Amino acid sequence: MPVLEGAIIYANLIVLLSLGLTMTYITTAVPNFAQGSFAVFGSYVSLTLLRLHGLNPIYYLIGEPSGKEDFFKYIMTSIPISFVLGGVLGVLIYVLVLKPLIAKGAEVVMLMIATLAVDLILLGCLGAYAGYLGSITKKGAVKFIFTPYDINIGPTQGIFIVSILVILILLFSLFLLLYKTKFGVAMRASMENPSLAVIMGVNVEYTRIFSWFLSGGLAAVAGCLLPFRQEIVPATGSIIIVSIFAASIVGGLGTIYGALFGGYIIGISESYITYQLSTVFGPGILVYGKVISLVILVITLILAPKGLTGVRWRKIWRRSTSS
Amino acid sequence: MILTQKLNAGYKDVHVLFDINATIEPNKITAVVGPNGSGKSTFLKAIFGLASVYSGNVIFKDNDITNVPSHERTKLGIAYLPQVDNVFTNLTVNENLKIAGYTLDKKEFEVRKGIALRAFPELKDFLGRKSGTLSGGERQFLAIATALIRKAEVLMLDEPTAQLSPKFAEIIFDKIVELRDDFNLTIILVEQNITRALEISEKAYLLVSGRVAFEGKSDELRDHERFEKLCMGLV
Ligand SMILES: Nc1ncnc2c1ncn2[C@@H]1O[C@H](COP(=O)(O)OP(=O)(O)O)[C@@H](O)[C@H]1O
Ligand SMILES: [Mg+2]
Repeated sequence: MPVLEGAIIYANLIVLLSLGLTMTYITTAVPNFAQGSFAVFGSYVSLTLLRLHGLNPIYYLIGEPSGKEDFFKYIMTSIPISFVLGGVLGVLIYVLVLKPLIAKGAEVVMLMIATLAVDLILLGCLGAYAGYLGSITKKGAVKFIFTPYDINIGPTQGIFIVSILVILILLFSLFLLLYKTKFGVAMRASMENPSLAVIMGVNVEYTRIFSWFLSGGLAAVAGCLLPFRQEIVPATGSIIIVSIFAASIVGGLGTIYGALFGGYIIGISESYITYQLSTVFGPGILVYGKVISLVILVITLILAPKGLTGVRWRKIWRRSTSS
Repeated sequence: MILTQKLNAGYKDVHVLFDINATIEPNKITAVVGPNGSGKSTFLKAIFGLASVYSGNVIFKDNDITNVPSHERTKLGIAYLPQVDNVFTNLTVNENLKIAGYTLDKKEFEVRKGIALRAFPELKDFLGRKSGTLSGGERQFLAIATALIRKAEVLMLDEPTAQLSPKFAEIIFDKIVELRDDFNLTIILVEQNITRALEISEKAYLLVSGRVAFEGKSDELRDHERFEKLCMGLV
């Protein structure tokens, strides 16, 4: 697929992942190193649906012309199912592992290590599940890619359109939730000042649990589109986590908009700049894509320790226009 | 209205309040005064459940609420206005009011919002503005308005006039008296401005080093011959 298209698809998915990472960091102060594996969990959910039921997540949204008997195939496909299962996974991890640690007064470092442990456990479970799925379907499931299932829509790939639609729909829903519903306003209030939210009668714990649901759900949706762009193995999560963290930190961990900016900056530069470099230095360089993310991360941290949304742009703008 | 019985409270291993017995009477203003660090804010937090209570009880309308979670105390009718950070600065004025009515149904919320805006008509002009851009006085108006929306019977104000210009402080003191009379509120007022607080209140508690140094009528405390010394904890 064309390079820029691929970069945009990848960036859309990184945005979904870093949105969740930033959200749970703001609400519960947990830097979740298992976020990448939450995505791979989504990939395996959609693989399962595909292998066991012949369901194709792309056809669900685009609508492949076919008979009425396929209706339920469309409805029951991977995006909504992954979202819900991913959300449940997020809630379980928070309630069973992190919340008890937070109640005992665990510091950020301890929570981080706990998520690393969760990541390893998920990796083990996904690996075991991949073996099991492979054995019952008699098709390899440890390594897979969905590109053969992609369809052409006009001059472009189905996954390009779908990833854009998915991100638009999810961002718009998130906006409606956070700005137009009472619970959403309560969530934003709890993010800014949890103790004041309690005083207003908000059960802040619900907003924390819900943020883990959203985070897990968004990650799994990203995971269910990711196999259309790259090969998935159970350990893929530990590779993409680098980009997710880079995106959240470059954007700024203080606000969820940070994840949007950071996600596009990291997602697009990582694939696009790496490609441009490879045309100069040869394809060997493609393996080092993550280095680009890390370089951007380091530069941002030096120039703007709070990330791009932490910079007071208005002040800088005023200073530069007045001088 | 509210009783505390032999209340010992603080923050984990920092013991701040010792054996506080207090009686907050309905429809009156009770002033809580004392030097900095004497435990006035902690007293309000203990009543609201935001400080750790080691022993003793908090009774609200004959019910022991010592173990009720804080967010439920809001529903019972206790509104607490913290000393600092008492509005959500990233939210608009309107959203702040909305959150204040979190526990109410829609119809009731509209009614309460009307009441709050009638008490603070100034707020109508900047409903859409981010609260972080309000001046100190306006922010305090908003904070008290959010307490009104919460349909409270008891209003606990922690230094509502701190950092305000004398003019705004005076407006706030007037509003506090108005609120008591118009809404039959029971008010606990923690204040640095002891003179004004004792003027508008009926009853007063003087806290010194986490203990009650004086309890009685406000004018008694004001006229107390050893008032200065009491404040310094010398008696
Ligand atoms: N969150 C806290 N953790 C530990 N100690 C605290 C905390 N808040 C206040 N204190 C301590 O409790 C004491 C009483 O504080 P406070 O109730 O705020 O006094 P006041 O409101 O009368 O100035 C002070 O010594 C203060 O240092
Ligand atoms: Mg205080």
